[in-house]
Amino acid sequence: MSTSTNLPREAIAEPVNPLGLNGIEFIEYACSRPQALGQVLEMMGFKPVARHRSREVMLYRQGGINIIVNAHRPSLTQEQAASDKPWLAAIALRVRDAGAAYRRALERGAWAVPSQVEVMELNIPAIHGVGASRIYFVDRYEQFSIYDVDFVPIPGVDPHPPALADLHFFGVVQYIGNERTADWSEFYRELLGFAELPSEQHFGILPKGRIMQSPCPPAARFYIQLIEPEAGLLDVEGQEQLQRVALGTGQVLQTVAQLSQRGVEFLQSKSVQTDHRGALTRSWQGSVSFELVHDLRT
Amino acid sequence: MVDYSANIRDFGMDTISLAGPLEAKLLAVRQAGFSQIMLSARDVVGHPGGLESAVAAVRASGLRVTGFQVLRDFEGLSGHLHDYKIDIAKSMLEMCSALGAKVLLVCSSTSVHASDDPDALARDLRKLAMLAIPRSIKVAYEGLSWGRTINEFPQAWDIVCRADMPNLGLGLDSFHLFATKTPLDDLELLDADKIFLVQLADFMWTEIKSVEERISTARHFRVFPGEGVHSADLAALVSKLHSLGYRGDYSFEVFNDDYQQIPLPTVAERGRRSALWLAEGVLRRAVPLPNQLRLRRAEA
Repeated sequence: MSTSTNLPREAIAEPVNPLGLNGIEFIEYACSRPQALGQVLEMMGFKPVARHRSREVMLYRQGGINIIVNAHRPSLTQEQAASDKPWLAAIALRVRDAGAAYRRALERGAWAVPSQVEVMELNIPAIHGVGASRIYFVDRYEQFSIYDVDFVPIPGVDPHPPALADLHFFGVVQYIGNERTADWSEFYRELLGFAELPSEQHFGILPKGRIMQSPCPPAARFYIQLIEPEAGLLDVEGQEQLQRVALGTGQVLQTVAQLSQRGVEFLQSKSVQTDHRGALTRSWQGSVSFELVHDLRT
Repeated sequence: MVDYSANIRDFGMDTISLAGPLEAKLLAVRQAGFSQIMLSARDVVGHPGGLESAVAAVRASGLRVTGFQVLRDFEGLSGHLHDYKIDIAKSMLEMCSALGAKVLLVCSSTSVHASDDPDALARDLRKLAMLAIPRSIKVAYEGLSWGRTINEFPQAWDIVCRADMPNLGLGLDSFHLFATKTPLDDLELLDADKIFLVQLADFMWTEIKSVEERISTARHFRVFPGEGVHSADLAALVSKLHSLGYRGDYSFEVFNDDYQQIPLPTVAERGRRSALWLAEGVLRRAVPLPNQLRLRRAEA
């Protein structure tokens, strides 16, 4: 059989998970007031567990969720340093081989982020994501972790605090421009092996937009939800960004109750109502909110 | 006094059609009643104040940027040539984005070093389109009539379809269509939503006999639509595109040595007459176009 007769019928060239993607290693916020953001994270159940050796960077953790708070001045633009609002600066993805994943992405049209490492620090390869955000590739997460090298544990603190309820990474919501859903879907499909979910399949209580599913095994699976502006009046140009982190939990109402006791407020409005499918926290510091989504993780 | 009552909002001038510094071009185009301008890399790179000043001048002009040109001889290269062209493409995309241009124009390759394998061409354009996604830029691929492998729009369309990227589409240039005598009926093969830009120009001769003559005509002897001998063809082209559902921009790309040595307002006025002819005489528009009203956030 010649290849020319085979090709149009069956395009099976790509493996389902080309990078060996295996979940989110960490999410990074950049901000100019790290303590204020730290308070919010602690209210959400996170504990500060380590600080960076050379920069003003903290690692917060609960269960398998790592959040990095980066207040290292030189890494912020002037505009960002002047703003009080924290922003989602990076998603780090666990992959089989970080170097291979990085090279594969560049071959297909990703923009490389030049790395700026100090001596004896890890060089974690990254590509540009939406807005000013980055996508890191991490392959050291089993035997030893990237934090062992670049971070110093905070003395007397449990380095692996358990998660409140059963909280885990569920996904990230990304705001995009008008008529940009097809573009960004292609970005995640081509560079990272994501697949689009059917439009009727949704999670949580905020069903807008398109959901892209990561090719990770079920235990590490996460989603990226792409949301265009409301149809109609305003062009919100230049407003593309990672908007919020979604955390999964098997018992939304119980988790909401536990978080409420810690001082977390949840939105109750005409369009957003806490129920067994999900909930949305209020927004802190003008930009940080978390979505809870019903999701059983085995 | 300029008459603003005609609806020529989707017609724009191309800086290539005018002589002089960027600011003078912007002013002349604005004063002739146009609301958009197609920029060339030369306008900004050669600006005495550098890229930042050029960007500031464009933003201050109030003109919308139709697009940014032009990436040449990009597709089909391999090894170090490919890597080199990717670097050039990235610089172009960065300028494009700084200027607020939403479309980057790419001309089909004339290079003898480039492959003629359509899948290789498509793969490179796909990569270029991927580079353009985070910057919100669409890539318009144009079949140059003296392109080595791709020299007519149906071939360019085949490559665009193979590449299959949402932000990769076609750029059409009336000059190249007429030079190769590509049948207008072939436009029916296209998806109008995938035409990202149409450049219009006429020229003075009825027949172009050789490729050499085609290149010299394209670079020196173009005139505005309605000024040459192909007015009927241009009218047919614009009407055809309209009937197929094209609602994007038209830019007047008029390479003409004479226009490089007469005052900018005179040239811009010729462009305006051309726009009026197309809008009122050919498309017979009402004013303003329904469903075209869109509020825009003021520039900071």
